[in-house]
This record gives sequence, C-alpha cells and structure tokens, in this order.
Amino acid sequence: MVEENITVTEQKERLKVQDLKVRFFTSKGIVKAIDNLSFSIREGESYGLVGESGSGKSVTATAVMDLIPDPPGRIIRGKIYIDGFNILTDLDQLAKIRIKSPTDVIIKRKKRLIKRHNYIMSGIRGDKVSMVFQEPFLSMNPVMTIGDQIKEAILLHGRVDIANSIIKRETMNAQEVSKIVDTIMAQPDTQTRNKIIVRLCGEYAIPELAKPFTDLFENSTDRDFIINEVLSLVNTKKTGLNLEKLEESKNYFLLRERILDLNLELIGAEHSGDERTAAQLEAQIKELKSTMRSQFLLYSIKRRFMRRFIDAPFEKFAEGRTLELLTQVNIAGPERVMTSYPHELSGGMLQRCMIAMAFSANPQLLIADEPTTALDVTTQAQILDLMKEVNKNYNTSILFITHDLAVIAEMCDRVGVIYGGNLVEEAPVKEIFYNAKHPYTTGLMNAIPRAERRFEKTARLESIPGSVPNLIDPPSGCRFHPRCKFKMDVCSEKKPKLVEIEKDHKVACFLYSDEVEEEPREEIP
Amino acid sequence: MVEEVIGLEQVNAGTKKYRPRLELFSATVKSFVSNKAAVIGAVITFIYFAIAIIDTVAPSVFGIPSGEYTDLGYYSKHISPVETFGIFSPGTSHGFKYLLGGTIFNYPLLPAMFASLKFDLGYSVLIVGVGALVGSAIGVTAGYLGRWADEFMMRVTDVFFSVPFLILAIAFSTIFGHDMLSAVYALLIIWWPIYARLSRSLALSTKSLNYVEAATAAGSSKVRNIFYHVFPNVLSPIFVQISLDLGSIILIFATLSFLGITNLPYSFPELGALISDGDNFVTSFIPLPGFHLIWWPLIIPGFFLLIFTVSINLFGDGMRDALDPKLRK
Amino acid sequence: MELKYFIIRRALVIIPTLMGLTILTFLLLWAYGPNLVAAGFESEKYHNVAAALAAQGFNFSDPIGTYFSYLAHLFTGNWGTINQPISAKTLTAVEIFFPNTIQLAIAATIVSVIIAIPLGTYIGARPNSPADQAGRIFSLSGYALPAFWLAYVLIILFGKKVGVVPYLNIFPYDGNGSLNVSSPIFNNFHVSTPTHILLIDALIAGDIPLFESAFMHLILPVATLTYGILAGILRFIRAGMVDASNQEFVKTARAKGVPEKTVIKKHIRKNALLPTVTVLGLLVSSLLGGVVTVEYVFDYLGIGYLAVYTAEATQVWGILVLTFIFGIILMITNLIVDVIYAFLDPRIRY
Ligand SMILES: Nc1ncnc2c1ncn2[C@@H]1O[C@H](COP(=O)(O)OP(=O)(O)OP(=O)(O)O)[C@@H](O)[C@H]1O
Ligand code: SF4
Ligand SMILES: [Mg+2]
Repeated sequence: MVEENITVTEQKERLKVQDLKVRFFTSKGIVKAIDNLSFSIREGESYGLVGESGSGKSVTATAVMDLIPDPPGRIIRGKIYIDGFNILTDLDQLAKIRIKSPTDVIIKRKKRLIKRHNYIMSGIRGDKVSMVFQEPFLSMNPVMTIGDQIKEAILLHGRVDIANSIIKRETMNAQEVSKIVDTIMAQPDTQTRNKIIVRLCGEYAIPELAKPFTDLFENSTDRDFIINEVLSLVNTKKTGLNLEKLEESKNYFLLRERILDLNLELIGAEHSGDERTAAQLEAQIKELKSTMRSQFLLYSIKRRFMRRFIDAPFEKFAEGRTLELLTQVNIAGPERVMTSYPHELSGGMLQRCMIAMAFSANPQLLIADEPTTALDVTTQAQILDLMKEVNKNYNTSILFITHDLAVIAEMCDRVGVIYGGNLVEEAPVKEIFYNAKHPYTTGLMNAIPRAERRFEKTARLESIPGSVPNLIDPPSGCRFHPRCKFKMDVCSEKKPKLVEIEKDHKVACFLYSDEVEEEPREEIP
Repeated sequence: MVEEVIGLEQVNAGTKKYRPRLELFSATVKSFVSNKAAVIGAVITFIYFAIAIIDTVAPSVFGIPSGEYTDLGYYSKHISPVETFGIFSPGTSHGFKYLLGGTIFNYPLLPAMFASLKFDLGYSVLIVGVGALVGSAIGVTAGYLGRWADEFMMRVTDVFFSVPFLILAIAFSTIFGHDMLSAVYALLIIWWPIYARLSRSLALSTKSLNYVEAATAAGSSKVRNIFYHVFPNVLSPIFVQISLDLGSIILIFATLSFLGITNLPYSFPELGALISDGDNFVTSFIPLPGFHLIWWPLIIPGFFLLIFTVSINLFGDGMRDALDPKLRK
Repeated sequence: MELKYFIIRRALVIIPTLMGLTILTFLLLWAYGPNLVAAGFESEKYHNVAAALAAQGFNFSDPIGTYFSYLAHLFTGNWGTINQPISAKTLTAVEIFFPNTIQLAIAATIVSVIIAIPLGTYIGARPNSPADQAGRIFSLSGYALPAFWLAYVLIILFGKKVGVVPYLNIFPYDGNGSLNVSSPIFNNFHVSTPTHILLIDALIAGDIPLFESAFMHLILPVATLTYGILAGILRFIRAGMVDASNQEFVKTARAKGVPEKTVIKKHIRKNALLPTVTVLGLLVSSLLGGVVTVEYVFDYLGIGYLAVYTAEATQVWGILVLTFIFGIILMITNLIVDVIYAFLDPRIRY
C-alpha cells in the first residue's frame, strides 16, 4: 500500500499500538481512560487483554477500530499501525482541543478532514480489521435480516475481486478445468487437496461446489471423468449474465479503490510534510474523480436508482458466500438463519453470525471484545473453539479481550494486563500464569478459584482489596499503589515504566526496575 | 473449564454507594440550572404568573386600572364615538396605558392583555390542577388495584382519547352553554384521563419495586402503600406533565374563545378573544393607498401568548431532562 | 395470512371504544336535556316538544330505550337538519364537507412527511449542532404556536397584502359566511362534483384555471397545518435518530466498514422511524384539532368548519354527530398506524 509507512514498522506485525492516549471529556471532568498504551500483535498470534471492569479494555479495542464515540471521547495521541498503515496519521489535524477547565473543554472539529478520515477508515474497517462485540443481541441491527447484514459486510469490500471471480466462473472452459484438475490431482495429501479445492472454489465464485468436488476427488481417480464432471457442474452454475455490464461495474470499483489508495498515500505525504507529492496526489485524485464523474455518470445514476439490477450478480455472489460463512461457523440451518431477524435467534447463534460477519472479508486482524461473556458456558466453549480454529486455519491475528483468566489460558499466546488504562504487565501466557510479576497480576491470579486449593488448609479466595481507580482523578505515580501490598514511597510519586525484565516479559513496577515513565508535557493532562 | 473470577465481582459490588435523596435533589437542581433555555423559560413563566397575581391583587401597581375590564358594561359607559374610529397605534404618545396601542373600540391593549392573564392562567391552573389531582388519584388506584378496576379505567380513558381534544372540548362546552365557565367545566371533564394514564403506568412500574413489595410482604395495607410508597414516586413525572400541559390548555382555552365557542363580548380580556378581535382588522383590510393595516391587535396578543407557551414548554422540558437520570449528563 | 388475523383482531378492539363513545355522546345529549333534542327533526310539524321527541323514539324517563333510539339514529345517518353554516340535512352537509377535510389533512400530512424525514435525518445525525438547535426551536414553536394566530400571520405575510398567495376561501359564500344549499355550491364553477374534492373534480372536468385556483387556495391552509405536524414529527424523528445512533448495532455497522452516510440512512434512520410511527396516532389527533381552527380561519368548507358553526349555533345533534365522526376517523387512523407498524417492525409478533 503506502511504501513509506510499511518501512516504519517491522514486518509481520499485524497491529502495533504506540503511546495510545484516550480521553473522555465529560461534565464531571476528563476521564483519563487510556494512558500511553503500547503493544503489538504479530501475524497469526492471539493476544489477550485482561483487566478488571472499567480498566479500559473496551476503550482500547474501540480505539483500534477508531470507533471511540465522539463526543464525549477522543483519541488524543498515539499511533495505531494496522498492516503497516498508521490510521492515526492525520490525528492532529482532525480537531483542536482547548481546555479551559476540566469540565469546560472546547473541541473544534475540522469537518472536511474528519469526513476524509471516516472515508478512509470505512475502507479499512471490516477489510483489514474486524470486530466481534460483547452483546450479540444489541450488536445486530434489529430490523435487518441476518443475511442482509452479512451480505452488506461482504459487498462493502473487495468488489473488484468479486467481479473478477464471477468473470472467471463465467468464462471457465475445458482447458482451464483440465489444468486445474491436474494441479489438484498432483497433490497427494487429501487434507491439503481439500484446502486447495475450497480456495479455488472461492476464487471461481462457486463456493457451494466445494463439497461435491471434494467428494468427487475422493471417490474417483479417473482424470477424464473428473474433468467432465467438474465441467458440467460448473456449467450449471454459470448464469450467462452480461459480462460487459459486469466489466463496467468492475472498472467502476477499480477506480474507487484506486482513489482510496491515493487518499491513503496523500495522508502519508501530508504528514511527512512532502508538499510536492501531496499536491501531485491531490491533483491525481481530483482528476480520477472527474473521470469517474464523466465516465461513470450513467452508471452511477443506474446504480442509484436501479441498484437491484446492477448489483444482481454481486448480490447472488454475496448470498452464496453468506451461506458458506454461516456453514463455516457451524450454525444449524444456515438457510433459515439467513432470512431470520436477530430477535428470532439465540445468543449463541447470533454470536456465530457476528463471527461469520467479521470474517466476510477475511481480515488479518480480528478484535473480540468479550465475545463470550453474554453466553452460557457450553456455547462459550463452542464459540472459543470456533475462534481458535479460525485463528489456525486463516492465520488470523486475534486481539482477545476478557476479564476471565480461564478463557485467556485457553485462547491466547500472549497476554497484556491492563490496570486503570495502563498496561502493567505483558508476557507469554504461560509466564503470566506461572511467573506473574506485577502485584496486580498476582492478585488476579490468586482471585481465581482453583480446585486444588480447596483441599489446602488455607482454602480461601483472595481478592484484591479496594476498587478500580476513578479515572477522572487517578492516583499519582503507579496507579495501583493505593491497593498494592508492596507499595513503596517512590510508587506514589513516580510512574513506573513498562520494561522488559526477562525475554518477552515486560512489567511496569518499581519492584523490578527503577525506570520512570517520562510524561511528556502536554496541554491535555 | 471456564471459571468465574468471583473476586473481581465482589470488589466492584462493594463500591456502589447508596445515594441519599438530598444528593439526588441537588443533582437535579444543578442539572436544571445548567440548562440555560430551561432557566429562561422558568423565569418568564414566573413573570407571567407574577403579572397575573399582581393584576388581581393590586391592579393599580401597573398604573393602569385593568380591573375595570372585567366589568362587561365598561365599553357602553366609557367609549366615546370618536375613540371607536381612531385606534391608537403602539407607541408612547398616548401614555403607558396605550403603550401597545388599542384594540377594537380603541381599548388599551396592554392592560387588556394583563387582565387576560388572570383568566387564562387562573383557569388553566385550575383545570390542570384538578385534572392532575383527580386523574392521578384514579390512575394510581386503578394501577395499584389492578384487574377489573384497571381494565375499566383503561376503557373509559380510551373513549376520551378516541376523539381529538379540541373537538371534545367544543362538544362539551356547547352542551354546557356558551360562556367562559362552561369551557372550564368542559376542560375539567376531559383533562383527567391524561393523568390517569400517566400515573397508572408509573404506579405499575413502582408497584414492582423491591421496597414496595417488601412493605406489602410486611403486612402494610394497600391504602397505606398507595400513599406512602406509590404516590411519592409518581409525583415528579406528574409535575413535569402539569407544566407541559399548562401550555396546551391555555392554547385550547384561547382557541375555544377564538372560535366563538365561549361566546365572549368584544374586548373581553381573554387572549383568544383579543386575537379574535384583532383578526377583524386583518380580514376586512383593503390595501388602498392611504390605508394602513392595523396589525397590532392581532399580532401582539398572539405573541404574548406564544412567549408564554414557549417558556413553559422550555421549563417543562428542562425539568423532565433534569429529573431523568438517564438524560443527566 | 397472519397479518390478516392481526388486522381483524386489532379492528375488534375498536368496538368497545366505539360503544363507549356512543355512551359518552349520549350522556352529553342527556345532559342537554329534552328541550332541544328535537331540534333538527322538523319539530315544527308537531304540536309540542314531547310529541316531536316521541316521534323520534326519545323518552326522557327511559334512558335505556332512548339510548337505543339514539344509536339507531346515529348508525342510520338520520341526523336531523342544521341551519348553520348551510341549511341542509346534517348527513348531506357532512357528505359535502367531509372530502374537503380529507384533502386538507392528507395534503398536510404528505407535505410534512416529505419535509420531516430528510430534515429529521439531517438534524438527528448532528445532535447539538446549530442545525439541531434551530430544529429544536422550530419544533418547540410548532407546539407552542396558536394555530389560528399563525394562520393570520401567514395571511398578513402572504395573503392579499403582498399578493403572493390569495387567501380568499375556495368557495363563494354569501354575506355572513352561510351557504345557500338551494343553489348547489359547486354550480358557480360549472363543473360536476363526483368526488366533492375540488382539486380532483376540476381535473376530471379538465378545468385547469379552476384547478390552479383551488390549488392556490390550498397553500396557506396546508402551510398552517403543516407547521404544527411537521414540528411534532421532527421532534420524534430527531429523538429516534439520537436514540438509535447511541445503540450498539451502529458501532457494528461502522466496524463492518459501512460508510458514514449509509450508516445514517440505512441503519440509524430505519430504526429511528419505527418509534415515530407509533406516535403518529397522537399527531393525527392534533392534526384533526388543527383542522378545525385552520378551516375556520380560512373559511375552508370542511367538517372542522362545520363543527365550529354547528357548535356556535348550538345545533346539538350536529356537534354530537361530528364528535362521533372525528372519533371514528381517529380510531381508523390509529388502526392503520398499528397495522403499518406491525408490518414494518419484524419484532412485533402478531
Ligand atoms: N462514553 C464514555 N464516556 C465517559 N467515560 C467512558 C466512556 N466509555 C468508557 N469510559 C470510561 O473509560 C474507562 C474504561 O472503560 P471500558 O469500557 O474500556 O472498561 P472495560 O475494561 O471494557 O470494562 P468491562 O469489563 O466492564 O467491559 C472507564 O473508566 C469508563 O468510565
Ligand atoms: S509500582 Fe509500587 S505500587 Fe505499583 S505495583 Fe509496583 S510496588 Fe505496587
Ligand atoms: Mg468492556
């Protein structure tokens, strides 16, 4: 995508959050919800975020999606790299914040820039990063069918790819088929073979044929027979639609994608102060837009008033894909579910639908904010299994948020412990469970009821005394000090820095390191 | 496999503080005061009531004895033929009395409007007050007793809601005779169902509150329950409704006299009647050179009424927002 | 299939209310006493009031029997006669005047809805913006404005003084506002009146100038009426929009990558309009109230106008019948509103 930006981060980091700072400007004061939070998630990794209620887990997740409700909240500083692109590149220009007093804050928003920001974000959300929310009942639109909601998600991204695969399907001929059959048959391992079949079926917009094809390849080794079968099956799926019209749609969306990409570059250029490139890009965008207006005038009018006809092939594709997704998440009766409204389904089913929706564009990063808290234990386990499977099969990175340590133990590779908007400890999951360092983490560990402890003499559930700090007026220094058993004098004066004390194990506590977090002097406290 | 972190929940449960009533009250007041529009509405509403009261108790305070306008024989005694022709326009040239000009028969408009408030506000408060009292008594009782009493009340109120209020008011006051009091009776009869419905639903939601159930379990009697537990909870929403209704009722009242249903004599100090007097000048106006439209007898009383209804709506809205903890910032 | 049963069930609920309404109006009649009940039933044919009453089946010592004769009168359209504003059978007057009211009410409703939905969407998507504040003041003024006063303000502004829109009444009327029924009211226009709705009748007759004139005469009444309803709808749509946009599913939509405009139009607005539909019944009630004043001010010959004149002239039968008719209109619109709501909201199970 954007060359300069990719070089900024290491490769293989799907998400990198740096110095994130989120504030809520309320009538009672400024809620310092997230302070200097940094972490990163690698490719295929499942990262857990734990903490008590109110510690800022959801705020972190929503910040990564850039969905902090404004008003009252705003991200005021930080960098969030999603797939190498910093979505907060233009953060400073979006709004000017002037603080008269904590309860009287004036925020001047730049409408035009915010509009552009939202436009770019809507290209990234759902495509590169998706989110599964905590309350399945509240998170689905009550007046749209499940099918429509998932279809919407599918059709928002990758229209060009969709058009390409439909064209591929329509123009598929015997020669191509025989080539494909050869490659599949050359693969000795059934498992891999099936995977290839599924992938190819997706590529050719015939996902519903994956099953018959795998059966076919399993039951037969006769090359000519297979080719004939495949050809006839594929031919039944061809709709004979007008490819010229589809081409036109494809070109239209190609242009739109191009404009989006140019906008991304433009933001990068603006930020790095490269005015010449920025001006060039701006001119280019303008030109493309005017081409779009002139060349696709008739098309956009048709799209506006005859959506149903223009979008018919896409809709059909989306329908097949929806069915496929719903089958993938093991939902019972996917056809029925597609035409159901959210209130007609159970929480577990809805959560599966949410996951299906989140996977519609095969994002590389999935954020799951307590996806199982609202569900009963059995369903919870099934959903977790499903997510693990997805994590393995598609090499998707997951940011998993929960306050349930047992779930963390099961799901995650690495864990971050968050307290009062600060990351206090970060380590591989085993380390956290067997070698927790931070007093807060150890407190959390002791709070877990463990079966083996019940038979010890001192069988007693420990809990951490006190409660989550008020984030409007957080404790000075280490935010945990009012509740800490090991509190020292320095703890209430200075803020400990998150430092790596062992390999991959970071802690922010003066018991382990003397490093102090330097607070940059800023207008916003 | 999947366990609950009980410790965390306990910690949080222990920190919820009980909020005493006084704190709640001061929060409400604070929230109300921070709403500028509501405060302005409250102040203007207060001024209107003050004018009405002063005009009743001591008409001479304004230096314009408006008391005489309630004397229906006034114009036959006082109006000279000359005055009926030249209607003063607003301005100070004819003294304070004619500050806002004259209306039909050159009655001074300002004192007439002040005197109107006495009728309009007085009767509106009476109607809303009685309606609220009777209606909420019926509603709370029905809601609390439930079953057939509730059902019966709902069906009766259904009937009242099945006809537009204005039509119902017209029908009732026609039956009772064409005067001011019959309009008051009519509105008294049709205004209670609103409060009955409102307080019924409030009573139903209060009934299931824990402490009311606890009181019932402890053997407290039904009547006692209604008075000690249900009523206090019903009061503040009712009060909000009263303030909002005051605006509607004064409008209906004015409309009735404007339409001539309450057959009031010319220049009777009632805002609707005053506006109705003013409309003669507009409908009979012929735009010939040398003629000027006499607009003030129509526009000024209407505006005077509008300011009141807007203010009391602002006041009521602000109060509702302040009392609703969900809306409080 | 299911919807059909829902409609039937919902329609049956009307019956008790309807009976209640007959009782209420009958009580009014009873309260008025025997004296003038006979008025409107050619009482002059009889020697005395008692005889006139008896001929109509009214006996004021027998409430039950009288109630049933009253019902018979009510449901057979035997509503006696009126002298004001026209001298005719009450039924005939209603037949002539009713379509005009329908025309006015529907025109005002359509105009308000057409304006309210985009405006409400715009405002509701920008809570606390200057546009929102303006909208709030507008809705408040719609609640607080005396409709009759607004009508005159419009007349002064746009009426004959400026000459932009003529405000003269649609129909010619002689002298003091009463019509002479012996000369059929539409004769002056030389068109036949199959529908009694002048706009449509003129079109049927192909009389374009008449259509134009009828249309122009409609503008100010519709504008006055629209102001009030528009304010009401706007308020509800705005509240619905704000409410819906704070719900979780909006976040889901954004997380999917739905563009901001589509989020507002597709996800938020659809959810915001549903609660608005439920309060339409209330608005229709206030609309019908507004019809009365507007028709009176503009001398627009609808049943609101009829109601005011029958009331002013204490034509008891006339006003009771009209009360009943207004009640039926309101009940039917509420029925339609409920059916629409059930149709629109998948969560309603019928
Ligand atoms: N809209 C908001 N307005 C004001 N403060 C907010 C808002 N949203 C979140 N906060 C504050 O941010 C802090 C973190 O909230 P967050 O929702 O992230 O907690 P959480 O860790 O997700 O807790 P839970 O486990 O209950 O979901 C809290 O102190 C909360 O008060
Ligand atoms: S820094 Fe001090 S107060 Fe904070 S956790 Fe460590 S020891 Fe406890
Ligand atoms: Mg949360």
